[in-house]
Amino acid sequence: MKALIQKDVYVLWKQMKIFVIVMLVIMAGNGSFGSVFVVIWCAMLPYTALAYDERCKWDQLAAMMPYSPRDLVLSKYVLGWLCAGAAGALVLAAQAVIRAFRLPLETGSPLAVLISFCASVCVLAITLPLMFRFSVERGRMVMFLVIFLVCGGAGALGAVLAPDGAPVPGNMAALLSMAAVLAPIAAAVLTAVSIPLSLRICAARR
Amino acid sequence: MNAIELSHIEKSFGGFAIQDLSLTVPSGTICGLVGENGAGKSTTIRLLMGALRPDSGAAAVLGTDVTSPAFTAVKEDIGVVLDEAYFPETLNALQVGKILASTYRQWDQSAYDGYLDRFDLPGRKPFKDFSRGMKMKLAIAAALSHRPKLLVLDEATSGLDPIVRDQVLELFNEFTREEDHSILISSHIVSDLEKLCDYIAFLHRGRLLFCEEKDRLLEDFGLFTGTAEQAESLLPEAVAGREASGYGGVRALVRRSLVPESLALDRPTVEDVILFIVKGEETR
Repeated sequence: MKALIQKDVYVLWKQMKIFVIVMLVIMAGNGSFGSVFVVIWCAMLPYTALAYDERCKWDQLAAMMPYSPRDLVLSKYVLGWLCAGAAGALVLAAQAVIRAFRLPLETGSPLAVLISFCASVCVLAITLPLMFRFSVERGRMVMFLVIFLVCGGAGALGAVLAPDGAPVPGNMAALLSMAAVLAPIAAAVLTAVSIPLSLRICAARR
Repeated sequence: MNAIELSHIEKSFGGFAIQDLSLTVPSGTICGLVGENGAGKSTTIRLLMGALRPDSGAAAVLGTDVTSPAFTAVKEDIGVVLDEAYFPETLNALQVGKILASTYRQWDQSAYDGYLDRFDLPGRKPFKDFSRGMKMKLAIAAALSHRPKLLVLDEATSGLDPIVRDQVLELFNEFTREEDHSILISSHIVSDLEKLCDYIAFLHRGRLLFCEEKDRLLEDFGLFTGTAEQAESLLPEAVAGREASGYGGVRALVRRSLVPESLALDRPTVEDVILFIVKGEETR
């Protein structure tokens, strides 16, 4: 598994290092929205790695190397968790720097970073089996549909919480507290379903 | 021990099927898998490496059933080179070495560095800027640097210029100097296989038409050249395949044991044997 993650990190870092750093810098000082966006965006990096794998037919070679089918599948989940976790840690560090130096930038809530990490684990759990089943090109369409539904749901929730266009502080605090409890549970449950499903999809392809 | 044992393997893909494939490669030998494009060579290799599950039949490599979980560990002893290198194109040779060092417990970094030097492969140049010959050399260096006992090569020499091909074939010859080292090499460049192999297996439309020791194959068959009347006088079962050779003449591949000893026959090449057998199959 270490070798598979190492390979993906080499590939991603070579291609995306500038982009990732710019995203982190821009989004760290852009309030909670920026924090959430950058963490979830980083969790999508395994799809880029999968696209490179498909392009060079790495899966055909990997199937003949001493990687177990479980490692081949699990490595993409672990890569997503690592990317989202690293992005979350960097955002928290950037927020700490902004606060320490009292820079004129808006920082989001650290709780929002935790929730966004859990949300990114949920998105990975929902979309990775689709990527394994339909390949990255077609899987991305479904992923966008999922993101659209999540954003639409968030918009609908916002309309309930802020009926006059301005959020009610009490409502927001209650929502964050509730999400902080529910998001880790949802992430754990979805992941527990998603990994066996992905394993089954990859086994069926053989 | 046999390096490879395939027994009555069947695998169907709808329009194409591997049918009743039984193939044995004894340890310490080189077996060439020959066949036209689409004959099933790559599918056979995927089946014996456990990358595809057969519909029926059994496959064992280095004594282990390829469908068993234990086979993942056995792959440590198998070096694989496919028709392209299949490493992500943004990587360079040094990064490939680091990844494979984390993959194989028996990885020999000094051997890998030695192959990079021997093949003049740059360490930091991205893989996408390599020529095809360089890519294949890197794949071969990677396959040889974890001290495998079996090399599985799928069209590893196709598309290489003759000089590089010669270097690569020399390397494979060196590999088999260890008596427990074996090679299965698929190719449609029959001349390469004739130079290298102890056994020749011939796949045609998903069926194994023969798997024979190369020397025995060339001794068992002879090339007859004569008139149509002379050809007609041969026993039908003696003729594996025939073709018109112009001016009313006939060339035929015949089984030496079934024709009179007085009949003058030329020694065929492996390519002759294969071409005539295919012709014989098509006229049946």
